[in-house]
Amino acid sequence: MSRNKLALYAFAATLSAGAASAADKVIFQLDWLPGGDKAPIYVCIQEGFCSQAGLEVEIASGRGSTDAISRLAAASSDVGVSDIGALMAARANEGVKVTAVMSLFNKGPHAFYVAKGGSITSVADVKGKTIATSPFTSSNVYLPLVLKDAGIDMADIKLIKADPGALGPMLMTGNADGIIAWMTDLTRYSNQGKEAGKEIVALPWSAAGLELYSASLIASDKFLAERPQVAARFVAAYRKSVEFAKENPQKAAAAVTATVPELGSEDVEGSLKDTLPLIFNEVTEKDGLGVFEAARLAETWRRVSEAQDIDPAKLDPETIVNRTFAATE
Amino acid sequence: MAMPALRFDRLGQVFETRSGRTEALRDVSFDVARHEFVSILGPSGCGKSTLLRMIAGLLTPTSGSVEVFGLPVTAPRDDIGIVFQKPTLLPWATVEDNVVFPARHKTGRVTAEERQRAGELLDMVGLSGFEKRLPDELSGGMQQRVGIARALLMDPDILLMDEPFSALDALTREVMGFDLLRIFSERPKTVVFITHSVSEAALLSDRVLVMTGRPGSILTEVNVPVTRPRGPETAKDKAIHELSDHLRDLLLNRHAA
Amino acid sequence: MSSQTISAISSSTVMPRESEASRTQPALLKRVTAWPGVTTAIALIGTVLLWEAAARLLSIPTYLLPPPSAILGSFSSIGFERWAGHIGATLRVALFGYALSIVIAIPLAVVMMRSPLLSRTLYPLLVVVQSTPVVAIAPIIIVVLGAGDAPRVVITCLITFFPLVVSTATGLAATPPELIELSRSLRASGLREITQIRLPFAVPYIFSALKISITLAVIGAVVAEFCASEAGVGYFIQLSTSLFKLPQAWAGLFVLAAMSLLLFQIVVWAQKLLFPWSLPKNH
Repeated sequence: MSRNKLALYAFAATLSAGAASAADKVIFQLDWLPGGDKAPIYVCIQEGFCSQAGLEVEIASGRGSTDAISRLAAASSDVGVSDIGALMAARANEGVKVTAVMSLFNKGPHAFYVAKGGSITSVADVKGKTIATSPFTSSNVYLPLVLKDAGIDMADIKLIKADPGALGPMLMTGNADGIIAWMTDLTRYSNQGKEAGKEIVALPWSAAGLELYSASLIASDKFLAERPQVAARFVAAYRKSVEFAKENPQKAAAAVTATVPELGSEDVEGSLKDTLPLIFNEVTEKDGLGVFEAARLAETWRRVSEAQDIDPAKLDPETIVNRTFAATE
Repeated sequence: MAMPALRFDRLGQVFETRSGRTEALRDVSFDVARHEFVSILGPSGCGKSTLLRMIAGLLTPTSGSVEVFGLPVTAPRDDIGIVFQKPTLLPWATVEDNVVFPARHKTGRVTAEERQRAGELLDMVGLSGFEKRLPDELSGGMQQRVGIARALLMDPDILLMDEPFSALDALTREVMGFDLLRIFSERPKTVVFITHSVSEAALLSDRVLVMTGRPGSILTEVNVPVTRPRGPETAKDKAIHELSDHLRDLLLNRHAA
Repeated sequence: MSSQTISAISSSTVMPRESEASRTQPALLKRVTAWPGVTTAIALIGTVLLWEAAARLLSIPTYLLPPPSAILGSFSSIGFERWAGHIGATLRVALFGYALSIVIAIPLAVVMMRSPLLSRTLYPLLVVVQSTPVVAIAPIIIVVLGAGDAPRVVITCLITFFPLVVSTATGLAATPPELIELSRSLRASGLREITQIRLPFAVPYIFSALKISITLAVIGAVVAEFCASEAGVGYFIQLSTSLFKLPQAWAGLFVLAAMSLLLFQIVVWAQKLLFPWSLPKNH
């Protein structure tokens, strides 16, 4: 599919949307529950970017990357967000019919969280320490790699698995020297630390050399094949929403809480502000927003295949991305 | 002589169980005349209930035959009513609904005529005014009276009673016996009455069959030399007492042997 | 009847006479505590007060155990409409799943009672289904049944139906054998034997299972919501814990507990109303 053709589709679709025809329905798949880190899709709906593009978007929450990918593969959802590492593994192992169309996080969100003034000040310090993590986070997959980079063996740390909700308390009470969590939760853990009278510090793994694409916009192949113009319009609207969230984090947070008031605006805004640096950073300045740069994509696959013990030859990472949709802007 | 209501001809019953072969009845032969009251007296486990079930058509004999009015029993018949050891009423149904239950269960509906008959029967067993009560609100004796009324609903010619008073206290039991005498003088029935009470057998029956156990067979039969109608006075009759003693001796001697 | 009179006499003579003074005071207490739920309410209020005091005096951090006041606060901050939405979603799934499991379990128990072969074949399968952690197969159910309530209703049904099948089958087999003989002696149809004798006799068994299953239905709905949902109290709790909003999560837990209690009580009432004879006699 050529760029021009897609642009034409998008143009024609904008016209027809203007002509008050029924909006195209799109089911957007989250990889987890709603939250500030998922703000762009809520912005798209609340700020009207989606409806301006002639789209009627419905949001489906998910229970992890695998869940999100399998629902997209089954085409019960059209487009969504998920970790691209999980998609690579699913493509290599299962051949799922899902393709990434736009990058979001161009750094891995994974980090160690520790109490300030404790015995851990860098990734290298975790040797011999007790680290708590939740059982299903994708961070666990990359843990051996980041440890290996720091010259530490998995056997050198004591790893405890616990419910995500228990990790904060474990860190505050000293049951764990450090926990594994995402950078998107920095504000929440800091607030929890304040309540316990502790200052919490995050040690991002990207700082330790783990260079990865992470959360990405991915879509069902069926959706891309059958409704390419809708997909193109959606990606454009979504991209607009991401940029809007960067410029207006408060409004973006309000868009989330307008739909899911249970979340509380403070938390949402905190989480969104923690998330933005994973989307907008020096890598974005160099490559641009939403881009899959070939070398970084290849590096991501090298890391994923190594972490998951998959033969690197089993997948050409270029085959899991389709850059044409993001490029129509 | 008229055709007997019931005829048992060299009846035998063998149960094949996992633990082996049990012979419940062997070579049982006797007749029961129409409207005769016959008690079957014997120790527990002598196959009395088995006998009853074969008359009811609930059990097929392994040898010999049971005939009702000249026809071999191959299936349950409409002209036989059963009163069980326990009243086994439906706890959710009123007394009246319990009495008409056989009609409802057999045909799916209850006619006005059957309801009227239920009322009469309840009156006869001394329960008029209790029609709308639940079984739970009745004493054991009253419940068994409902059981008797239920067995009589279809006006069967033959009534099978399987130790109907054995779960009642001694006083109630005696009262029930007298009531039974009155009921059958009003509505004569052919009755096979199973009991292990010698005085009950003597008071109620025209004839008593004494059975022995393992395998069950008829030891002897004794005619009751007392005329009807009988009543509470009959219980004091010397002949009844002598018969009771005789029956008791038969059972005890047999047991000792 | 004579036996009743005797027992009436004996009970009135055995009872010792109490003095007037010692009778009035405890009588009032007894009357108040006899009201349904009074003792439970007192115990509950006591626990909550103790809890609040402990949370304040020992300054237990909110993320470990939020004080009741904070939980109460999060009740009001969510707003009635949202609560109604979540409660409605969970109720809908729990009740549909419950109804589905009743509709499946009771006929299945009847069929198993009629056919020993089928019973021998199905029982091990039922045990296998029951001992399979539903959470493990939930993703398959969700992908197969897609969006909507269907997968959650099926998950709830899977969790609730086992006690119903087992109890109903036990109840159907517990009918007095004399009544079955009566039925056979009347040459009644097998269907009437089931509907007029066996099923009514199984009612106490069915209801004890219905009481277990209704609480399981709420659990089932919550488990299903944990696996996939956009609304519901289970989803709300999951959302709240994922955000470390512990007081809010606890508020959800209380709502769930209240729902379970209420639904349980409704089943108890239904039995009292529809089948009063099936209740155990406690006098």
